[in-house]
Amino acid sequence: MDYSLDIKDQEAVVRLSGRLTFNDHAKLRALIKEMIGNDAKCQVLDLSSLEFVDSAGIGMLLIAREELEGQNKKFLLRRAAGQVKRVLTVAQLGKLITIED
Amino acid sequence: MTGPGASALGASELALGGGAVGEAVTVVAEEAKRTAALEHELLGMWVGFSDVQRKTLALLRFELDRTSELVESSTVDLSGRFRVLAEAARDQASHVDQIVSMAQYVEVDEDKVPVEQLVISMQAVIGEMIGSIIMLSQKAMSMVYLLDDVQKDVADLEKSIADIDNINRQTNFLALNATIEANRAGEAGRTFAVVASEVRQLSKTTSALADHMRSRVAAVVGGVRQGHDILRKIATTDMSPQILAKERVDKAMGSLVAQTNHFHDVLEAASSSASEMSMNIGQMIMGMQFQDRAKQQLEHVGDSMNVIDSGLEELISRTRIALPDHVEIAPAREWIDHLLGRFTLSEMRQRFVRQLLLEGTALDDLGALDAHGGGAESAAGDVELF
Repeated sequence: MDYSLDIKDQEAVVRLSGRLTFNDHAKLRALIKEMIGNDAKCQVLDLSSLEFVDSAGIGMLLIAREELEGQNKKFLLRRAAGQVKRVLTVAQLGKLITIED
Repeated sequence: MTGPGASALGASELALGGGAVGEAVTVVAEEAKRTAALEHELLGMWVGFSDVQRKTLALLRFELDRTSELVESSTVDLSGRFRVLAEAARDQASHVDQIVSMAQYVEVDEDKVPVEQLVISMQAVIGEMIGSIIMLSQKAMSMVYLLDDVQKDVADLEKSIADIDNINRQTNFLALNATIEANRAGEAGRTFAVVASEVRQLSKTTSALADHMRSRVAAVVGGVRQGHDILRKIATTDMSPQILAKERVDKAMGSLVAQTNHFHDVLEAASSSASEMSMNIGQMIMGMQFQDRAKQQLEHVGDSMNVIDSGLEELISRTRIALPDHVEIAPAREWIDHLLGRFTLSEMRQRFVRQLLLEGTALDDLGALDAHGGGAESAAGDVELF
């Protein structure tokens, strides 16, 4: 998994690409730190280029939500597609994290 | 000879008289004779024809009874068969109703659960399982992060122990130098030598403690690494295919419900068709009661024929008495031929031939000839009926 961070006004958009799996856990932890570290109130994960997510990846997204909301930051997922969208839908992750199209 | 002709002749004989009169009387007498002969001939023909009429009436009466019996036995047979059919249709309807009542339910622990409800509860169970998988994934990842931190802390600890060892080595070295310097100072340094020796002792104890800590920390590090490995194995087991399996399960469940509803609808239609069939057959059985009325009507026709027959019988016998013995009673051959020419049913024609030409042998009480005639030709007769 790779990511790029782009901060505009009050919104920090992190564009994820490739596959989000257990192997990315250290990278994702660093990303969470970066998201906590910037000033934007709203942290967005753009999933349009993410091809695959495994169950560990879903667990990490939930950890990110927990950590960011603990810092009073809004966290949301955006533009999921393909397998990622299917997994998010079937897992009913929308009940826990705001998901935008 | 008696009758009106004879008395008229007598009167004219009296009125005329004489030769010319005698001649005229002879002409009139001849004329009267011819008239009488013609009348006798006609009456003879009438008797012959009436005889045929009586025989025909008897035959028609026989055919009427026979037809009525045939209709009755066929109707009884058909009614019986229809009754069996109606009962089968009713049974079928009740069996189908039973299936209909069961079609949308599944028995679970002796409870009848609607398939739709079962599917919804199963989907809810699967949803809960997926929720648990996701929660476990999150907890496992939290644990991974915690153990990552612990590993870092333990590495720090190992480094600290190494620092202690380092400091201890320097302390020991310093104590050793202090001892040498104290010895060199002689008496003045004796007290300092004691302190230096104590410091060396302390350094040894510290070194032993550091060794002990190192071995304990090594055990902790080993445990944490093992735990991390196990957790990694758990966390790297991807459950997303199991999560996505719910898509297929949902589809299958949807199909199951749709199929069950379809079966229910089809079976309900089958049940109502069977009920309708049973009702229609019942109405057909009711309709067959026409046979009772037809039988009564045929009996009335038969009675009327009997009245005509006895009237004819009486007239024939009175006419026979009135006719002189020499008058020939002519059988109405031509009429019989005409009548027989009209029958297309061979069996019936045979009975008419026997009755009219063989003087009624076909109508003997035993019916032996009928039985004989029926055997070979009944099949042909049946075919002709249709």
